[in-house]
Amino acid sequence: MMLTAKDWLEKIRALPLVRRVRIMNVCGGHERSITMAGLRGALPQNVELIPGPGCPVCVCPEEDVYHAIQLALHARVILVAFGDMLRVPVNVPKTEPRSLEQAKASGADIRPISSPQEAVRIARENPGRQVVFFVAGFETTTAPVAAMLLEGIPDNLFLLLSCRLTWPAVAMLLDSGKPGFDALIAPGHVATVMGPEEWAFVVEQHAIPAAVAGFAPVSLLAAIYSVLRQLLEDECFLDNCYPEVVRPGGNRSAQAQLVQAMRVTDANWRGIGIIPASGFALASRFERHDARKHFGGFEVEGRKRVGEMPAGCDCARVVLGKIYPNECKLFGTACTPRTPIGPCMVSDEGACRIWRASGVKVPSATA
Amino acid sequence: MKSQVLPKGLYCENFNDQQTAMCLGIPMQIVEIDGYNARCTSKGVMREVSLFMLQDEPIAVDDFVMVHVGYALQKMTEQEARSTWELLDEMLAYDPDMQGT
Repeated sequence: MMLTAKDWLEKIRALPLVRRVRIMNVCGGHERSITMAGLRGALPQNVELIPGPGCPVCVCPEEDVYHAIQLALHARVILVAFGDMLRVPVNVPKTEPRSLEQAKASGADIRPISSPQEAVRIARENPGRQVVFFVAGFETTTAPVAAMLLEGIPDNLFLLLSCRLTWPAVAMLLDSGKPGFDALIAPGHVATVMGPEEWAFVVEQHAIPAAVAGFAPVSLLAAIYSVLRQLLEDECFLDNCYPEVVRPGGNRSAQAQLVQAMRVTDANWRGIGIIPASGFALASRFERHDARKHFGGFEVEGRKRVGEMPAGCDCARVVLGKIYPNECKLFGTACTPRTPIGPCMVSDEGACRIWRASGVKVPSATA
Repeated sequence: MKSQVLPKGLYCENFNDQQTAMCLGIPMQIVEIDGYNARCTSKGVMREVSLFMLQDEPIAVDDFVMVHVGYALQKMTEQEARSTWELLDEMLAYDPDMQGT
């Protein structure tokens, strides 16, 4: 018989938990379901759910957003990007456009898209223009971009890639010696594409319980129960609580396409720094479509706070799960979904935006 | 499988047109296949979906797939698709602020 969310909650409440357990998730979709379903309030008090590095827009280097803005303003390209990239602010003087949205308002040709196929269509429809697809994403987005490349793209389409692998950020936290969590909920659609085995290192090398979860409260609660039980029984294994689409080995066609179209490289994460072998770059056969190589850089020497989070913004610690969103003093006061300061308040996958949209209004009293 | 008319929901318009790269994904049912391209429906809303990432899987009209940024990531069962649709409906009902702009 299928257990309901209520059944899982009862099973969790019946566990003899004595100490505090911190469970990290690394997927904005998970955080959104957890927050909207009110799981934190429903779980025993000593179970903490921590949003970790699960938002590709939040960790997209500030320099890359700046680069995209400059390309749109000065190289006269059509710049296409997923919608939530458009509102990420960069660190520039007030006289300059601070986001792609502001650059668009000042006349740049910037178009929000919802699929890589739209980028291809726009490039085909505008053969006389150069089109730049600025894309930040994890494996779930990078694999479709690889598929797009292998299906064939027009010569006038270029990519400004800020794509990242999810697991190296978790490995970095675990290797730091102060991971800040006792168990991990692994991302469901990343595991759908890459295979759940990618997360085995958490269990095998660090003896941290882990479970892959889907996005329904019932799947998340099953995963929470699994990792709590693993902790209590002192026996870790990688559980799969999203068998609907997460199959052993993952989607092998998609993985093969990623290998053909991309190479893995060291990459900068905004607010975190360089993480080895954590980013995607175009494979050499697609280098002529690399916007960085084709257009060169636009960075201005002496630009203030290059690469940093905005002044006063605590997104760097929010992304790493070191603080909760409402522990930032800007949360809900200076920084809101309508007037975002940090990237975590911009993206639908950002923990700050999710918390604010769910009704957390102001900084916590303990902040 | 019997073809069914699915009730029209809010989220499909919103989630598809919200233009985010969010990992949530939308279950869709395949209506028509032409090479690697398919026409898929989710509660009455039609979309072009690429099957390129599923090229080693047997895929047929009426199958359900999990779609992310216009690409089918994996096949799923009808029951799984329906429970995910319910979840998406609940999320949008809960959070009007997230319903696109």
